[in-house]
Amino acid sequence: MNKIIMDNSMGQNTAVPALAIRDLDFWYGENHALKSISLDFPTRQVTGMIGPSGCGKSTLLRCLNRMYDLYPGQRATGEVVFDGRNILAPGLDVNVLRSRIGMVFQKPTPFPMSIYDNIAFGVRLHERLPRADMDQRVESVLRRVALWPEVKDRLNASAAALSGGQQQRLCIARTIATRPEIILLDEPTSALDPISTARIEELLDELKQEFSIAIVTHNLQQAARCADRVAFFYMGELVEVDTADRMFTAPHAKRTQDYITGRFG
Amino acid sequence: MPHESVHTVQSYEQELEQLRSFINRMGGVVERQVAQAITAVVEHDEAAARDAPEMDPYVDELERETEALVIRLLALRAPMGGDLREVVVALKISGDLERIGDCAASIARRAMRNELLSCPISLTGLRSMGRLVQENLRRTIDAMDQRDPELARIVWQSDTAVDELYVSMFRELVTYMMEDPRNIGPCTHLLFIAKNLERIGDHATNISERVYYAVTGNTLPIVRPRGGTFD
Repeated sequence: MNKIIMDNSMGQNTAVPALAIRDLDFWYGENHALKSISLDFPTRQVTGMIGPSGCGKSTLLRCLNRMYDLYPGQRATGEVVFDGRNILAPGLDVNVLRSRIGMVFQKPTPFPMSIYDNIAFGVRLHERLPRADMDQRVESVLRRVALWPEVKDRLNASAAALSGGQQQRLCIARTIATRPEIILLDEPTSALDPISTARIEELLDELKQEFSIAIVTHNLQQAARCADRVAFFYMGELVEVDTADRMFTAPHAKRTQDYITGRFG
Repeated sequence: MPHESVHTVQSYEQELEQLRSFINRMGGVVERQVAQAITAVVEHDEAAARDAPEMDPYVDELERETEALVIRLLALRAPMGGDLREVVVALKISGDLERIGDCAASIARRAMRNELLSCPISLTGLRSMGRLVQENLRRTIDAMDQRDPELARIVWQSDTAVDELYVSMFRELVTYMMEDPRNIGPCTHLLFIAKNLERIGDHATNISERVYYAVTGNTLPIVRPRGGTFD
């Protein structure tokens, strides 16, 4: 029965995944934080990752754009296949990688510069655009995240003056401005009020027409609302992955059932 | 329907317990109503005929309380997984139980009709149908209390026999009516009683399906094995 549901889940068996993790292990020094994870991120779908604090879900996200590179003592083995290449392999240009796999963090992280430059900054690193084209790029991504009407008259004002929800939408705009294929979101709404949260969720729904999205969230309702597929992590292991529908109505594993129903913590 | 592990939030656990107790109480009352209704008809038991409908308001009240608690749980706890299934299923089951109570009351109300008391027609068929329906209902409620999907599936299948008995009773009664128009009165009452028993069987089947889903997360096939057709 479940097999049928999986096969019908938006034809993911036939499509090549945007990102494929194979036997991924990760260490913080001696701490074995991810244990032999294999997981596909289907193209133009939202994959949600849930689990208690310390289960490895954010660590996994950090592997997907080599964020851990910045810290000594952290290492990953296994494969993360993106566009036919293992991105964990040495010799990969991480700056190019991070422009193709963008990331949005829990707390909005606008650069201390104008709204306009927050977006133009990343684009300039990778592309040399004439002023008019840059203006157009800035406008189009701000429209995309539904921020344009709110900021169009003050593009040169500091991004720090925006509200938390606006800042987070600006960060998403900044991320999509470099035209990535994949967007990673690490609890993007946990610092936002319900209305701003609803706006971001609405935005995700719209963005998945074009991008593949991985979102880590502590909010199970959010995962249920936004994600096509949901992966449950526990103590560094991937316990179960299935359609959101199945995960939140009838998960297979006892540990998943206990977690989503609030039976351990 | 007890669970193996306990919620981190105690009050949530208590509310689920409360929900289970509403359903169990409803099940108990309705089972008694059905037993009394059948006794009333086949034994001409006046007390039983009076008691069965009198329990109806109590069942209705439990159904309303179940509904209110389910709405509260959905709004405030946003249950997931097995809890979600249990809560939604409790709502549906309470509806089926309430309908069973109505059917039992309706049977009991006919039991003391003069046409039936002086009825020359044998009640053997009705008696065995009553026994079977009672047995299925008892096992359904056991499956519900014990969260036993296998038992639920067995009861779900065994409603076929009730359908078959109903169809054969229908034929028998129609024959009596054609033989002698004076039989039309009592036979019509018996027909309604048989129909109500058959409905009770159907509601028990619905409950079994829901128990199976609540426990396993899988649904039984849409088409249930059916016994006896009029074609």
